[in-house]
Amino acid sequence: MTAGRLAALSLLICGVTIGGYSLLIGVAAVRNHPEGYVAAYAIAATVAGLSVALRRRWSGWLALAVSVLLLTLGSYVNFVMARIPDDPTALRVGERAPDFTLPDAGGRRVSLADYRGKKPVLLVFYRGYW
Amino acid sequence: MSPDANAQSQRLADGLRVNYRFVADPDLAVTRRYGLIHRRGGPGGRDVPRPATVLLDRDGVVRWLALSANYQVRPDPRDVARAVRAL
Repeated sequence: MTAGRLAALSLLICGVTIGGYSLLIGVAAVRNHPEGYVAAYAIAATVAGLSVALRRRWSGWLALAVSVLLLTLGSYVNFVMARIPDDPTALRVGERAPDFTLPDAGGRRVSLADYRGKKPVLLVFYRGYW
Repeated sequence: MSPDANAQSQRLADGLRVNYRFVADPDLAVTRRYGLIHRRGGPGGRDVPRPATVLLDRDGVVRWLALSANYQVRPDPRDVARAVRAL
């Protein structure tokens, strides 16, 4: 494969990774394997490195710069930013969850105790939009 | 449950068109009591909730729990549905 084609392949891998991950974020199998995008950027960087090794052309350098930047950013997000320290939680399977009363989006108050003896409850904690 | 303002949660609820309730815990008091804080995990080193899915039975007892060690990772809805059916 020529240096130009390798550079194009590297950029294609980067583009497909960004696009694919964004489009398929709702699919648990994709979302729950974020190391996949890190691996894809590493492959793209290797391909770009091969391109530069073959012939020092601007296309190879461009692909190398893009893929190494994405690999650095992706690694930082996945291995540093997104890592949650394993702090102890107050929740144990088989134990009662602490009660609370809070407003819902419509401003009505919700108490966990209101559901007791009536319905099972699924509580989902999420980060929100800050 | 999230620290989002009600208006923000209402937009999310309208967009998703789901019939569950969005509960606001703006100062993270309840999230903290549950021990579900990702310390300094937000922008500017602010505390944010640790993504967690908790299934309680009719008696309010925890029957199933999904905690993530990476905030990009969330439970597969099929696993949640299976846990609900197993109640």
